[in-house]
Amino acid sequence: MTTVGATDLSEGMSLDLNLPVGTKAEADSGPAAMETLYLNVFYGGFRAIKDADLSFADKQITALIGPSGCGKSTLLRTLNRMNDLVPGARVEGEVRFQGQNIFDSAVDPVELRRRVGMVFQKPNPFPKSIYQNVAWGARINGFKENLDDLVEHSLVQAALWDEVKDKLDESGYSLSGGQQQRLCIARAIAVKPEIILMDEPTSALDPVATLRIEELIQDLKVNYTIIIVTHNMQQAARASDHTVFINMDSNRAGYVVESGATGTLFTKPVRQETEDYITGRFG
Amino acid sequence: MTEFRSIFHAELNQLEVLLLDMAKLAEGQINQAVDALLSGDARLARQVVEQDRNIDQLYVEVERRWHEVMARQTPVASDLRLMSLILQAGHSLERMGDQASNIAKIVEATSGLPTNQTILLHIQEMRSIVVPMIDTAMEALVKRDLNLAMRLPELDDPADWLNRNMWKEVAACASDPDLLEWAIHMMLVSRALERVGDRAVDIGEQVAFLLTGEQHEFPEGWVPTPRPA
Repeated sequence: MTTVGATDLSEGMSLDLNLPVGTKAEADSGPAAMETLYLNVFYGGFRAIKDADLSFADKQITALIGPSGCGKSTLLRTLNRMNDLVPGARVEGEVRFQGQNIFDSAVDPVELRRRVGMVFQKPNPFPKSIYQNVAWGARINGFKENLDDLVEHSLVQAALWDEVKDKLDESGYSLSGGQQQRLCIARAIAVKPEIILMDEPTSALDPVATLRIEELIQDLKVNYTIIIVTHNMQQAARASDHTVFINMDSNRAGYVVESGATGTLFTKPVRQETEDYITGRFG
Repeated sequence: MTEFRSIFHAELNQLEVLLLDMAKLAEGQINQAVDALLSGDARLARQVVEQDRNIDQLYVEVERRWHEVMARQTPVASDLRLMSLILQAGHSLERMGDQASNIAKIVEATSGLPTNQTILLHIQEMRSIVVPMIDTAMEALVKRDLNLAMRLPELDDPADWLNRNMWKEVAACASDPDLLEWAIHMMLVSRALERVGDRAVDIGEQVAFLLTGEQHEFPEGWVPTPRPA
């Protein structure tokens, strides 16, 4: 299995680099929070993801990089079944979370999305107060404890508390873009997920707000597994522990080229295809 | 001030700490090599040669981390200049370790040959000039002290003078072939110590570049442009 985790693919593993993409290869790995097994994702007759065979390390940050249209976001949205909502979307293979295939009929997709949260590209606070933005998800999930404490704790974890503690009743829309995104992260945290998926969470933010979110992500990994899609290679290099490079074949199906420790992938990638992409010789 | 790149800056700090470790080792190595020379202690000299790998290993670690930081963090401005300093100062310190090793090897090569007290005194004096220069260069880095960095060339002048004049003492040994052989080796020791001083000046120049962004070398009469606060 191509492993995104504690394993540095370039160091001392028995991966046969000439294996066809998607072929299993054994590697040491830390505990995985989630795995994909020969995952194929289709939109109607179009295969968007081909044989993705990955393992996402627990309490680590994994970045998905690759050219536009390679299927990064599709892969990310498959991990909490957001793609169920897309007409014609179909999945083959498995996504294993806590030992269970998330596509099993017994799995409740709403509960799955509570445990595997999502932060989107554009901050999307609800048209409600800052307090209600954070409390809402917990409330509809039947949260019975002290809501004030939960809101404060979530906003502290999202590094937003100090900026909003005196205006919790104001609209979420009153915040800056970067603050709104941190509010969305607080909202995701409030329902106590295990994994947070982030789909280009800083692409709509200015550089300072971007760095602030990156710092926040580093703090969050103590408690959460984070999988982030980014178009910004520098962001992947700066902010992630592991990186997955996805490319697309002649049929525009996305496939995993290489995955491994971010430090290694950006200094000594195993595959020439990765080298070409990260050094700007793609296409 | 709010810190938005704390991990990156922690990595930079760690690289600086590695440089300080290298400097401590280099100073110790040079002192021990000269001690071995002055006392003719072959065992100590061998120890110095063996210990050189400790500095080499630190330098390899500096290089490894340096590459990773460059690849991942895209440093700019003073961070970029600091990265430049780290690599070049690391190389200078590694070369100082090599010079200590070279001196130690000369102890073995000159074993049993007669010695000359005046030359040994010159070498001792050179050591007493160049080893503190390493301290000064590293202190200038740690304190970000431009004035201290700019003092290094003048601290180096006496070492240069002693090295330039060593040939006269060596020539005075010409009547005794064994003593001459030893003395010629001492010119190599003198040269090695002079190079240590030069390397310390190089580090000072890197510190000046870090702080001013202006110069890689200390030109004659250079006055740095004050940077806005």
